Amino acid sequence: MRLPRFGYIKPSSIEECLNLLQEYGGKARLLAGGTDLLINMKYRVASPELVMGIKGLPELSQIVMDDKGYCSIGAGITLSEIVSHKQIASDFPAFHKAVQSVASKHIRNMATLGGNICLDTRCWYYNKSKWWRDAREVCHKMGGRECHAIKGSPRCHAINSSDTVPVLIALGARVKVVRKGQERIVQLKDFFQDNGARPTVLAPEEMISAVLIPREASSARPAFIKIAMRKGIDFSMGSIAGLLAQNGKGAGELRLVLNCIGSAPITLKKTVLVIAEAGFTDAAVERAALTARSELGALTNLFTSAGYKRHLAEVLVKRALNELNELPGKNRSK
Amino acid sequence: MEMRIISLTVNDTAYEVAVKPWQTLLEVIRDELGLTGTKRGCEIGTCGVCTVIIDGKAILSCLTLALECEGRSITTIEGISTAESLHPLQKSFIENGAVQCGYCTPGIIMTGKALLDENPDPTDDEIKEALAGTFCRCTGHIKIMEAVKKASHPAGEKE
Repeated sequence: MRLPRFGYIKPSSIEECLNLLQEYGGKARLLAGGTDLLINMKYRVASPELVMGIKGLPELSQIVMDDKGYCSIGAGITLSEIVSHKQIASDFPAFHKAVQSVASKHIRNMATLGGNICLDTRCWYYNKSKWWRDAREVCHKMGGRECHAIKGSPRCHAINSSDTVPVLIALGARVKVVRKGQERIVQLKDFFQDNGARPTVLAPEEMISAVLIPREASSARPAFIKIAMRKGIDFSMGSIAGLLAQNGKGAGELRLVLNCIGSAPITLKKTVLVIAEAGFTDAAVERAALTARSELGALTNLFTSAGYKRHLAEVLVKRALNELNELPGKNRSK
Repeated sequence: MEMRIISLTVNDTAYEVAVKPWQTLLEVIRDELGLTGTKRGCEIGTCGVCTVIIDGKAILSCLTLALECEGRSITTIEGISTAESLHPLQKSFIENGAVQCGYCTPGIIMTGKALLDENPDPTDDEIKEALAGTFCRCTGHIKIMEAVKKASHPAGEKE
């Protein structure tokens, strides 16, 4: 498979990059690791006029513990750089585990954190060759009006497969979104929208420059579990991140975030209420897991069946809650 | 959209090549430089046969633009042995029967080399983690793991 033709520019600064984004709008794409974009370009689901190589831009390549209480990770930091960062490994072990679970080491050497957050959603009917797609009606994600995953659906149901996103949402992370002359901070939980064709709130002239993790979140107890067909390289069939803030004796604030079963990460609000009311009893954990099943909304049969996705949610919630409830000091690796 | 002339350093040799922006490093290594040891496989980053080492890291050349490699040091399978002697990993693959059809071998050896350069004495889990991005459909992964493991403990240096 060959790449389509495109023009290439390597901006020397983020200002130059944002100016070009403003000028080209949706016709330009940013290339950092390339492990998502170049594949999509080979499949002709992305055919930008201009590709901007932002790999190694100094503004995007720093990990700093800033004075505002955040661990700030540049969007261009590779996943391997995060894996080998000792302080991230000790302060945010679940995030570290999630990053290490992404694809293969080859891909982690190339892929960036910004790219994993902005990972394009995937679908059986979309991530195919052009020849294959041409045999069907044009779907929402390609600019048409059909959804092949759920017939008659008014929106796209392609799946968000990022493994880093659920943990980052559980940790209360924010992203720095920049455009020419402007900067805004967006809570990561508000960054995604439940529409596979437009999975993030990012405008075509915007990009994320950094991810901000509140350092106080390092005192909470985290969990991350990923289930994939093969451990080695696959996208998740389902993953869950949990965070239990420890304030005093009783159960503190609990967060559970599921991903890879819908177009956006799912924050389980009703499920955590069950535990907030009844505590971590065996019966409450069972009830919470059943509640999770009903909190998922309409599911597709993409990659796994809808029934399997509900079952997976139940199992993942149960495992995450048990992991969070285990006594500190116990081996919590699995 | 026009061709650009870039200088690529492959196996310590500097090349001046005219590349188009949409040419991948894999295409340039094979089709322009004639170094066909690096193989073309899935081309979407799942099989690892196109692995080369760039600045010490195992990188997939099918998902790397050639013109982004200017000024970086690239090593391919051709660059790890000399006419007289094979690289210890290559010897180990032969001695341990880790090669059958051989198509995946260059990519796996480059992956193994990147691992051993960084960590000369990896654990089994570290070998598995590093090799996870490669596929062999005929030898089986056990022999390959053993070959990498034995190359990490050359005879004589053992314990």
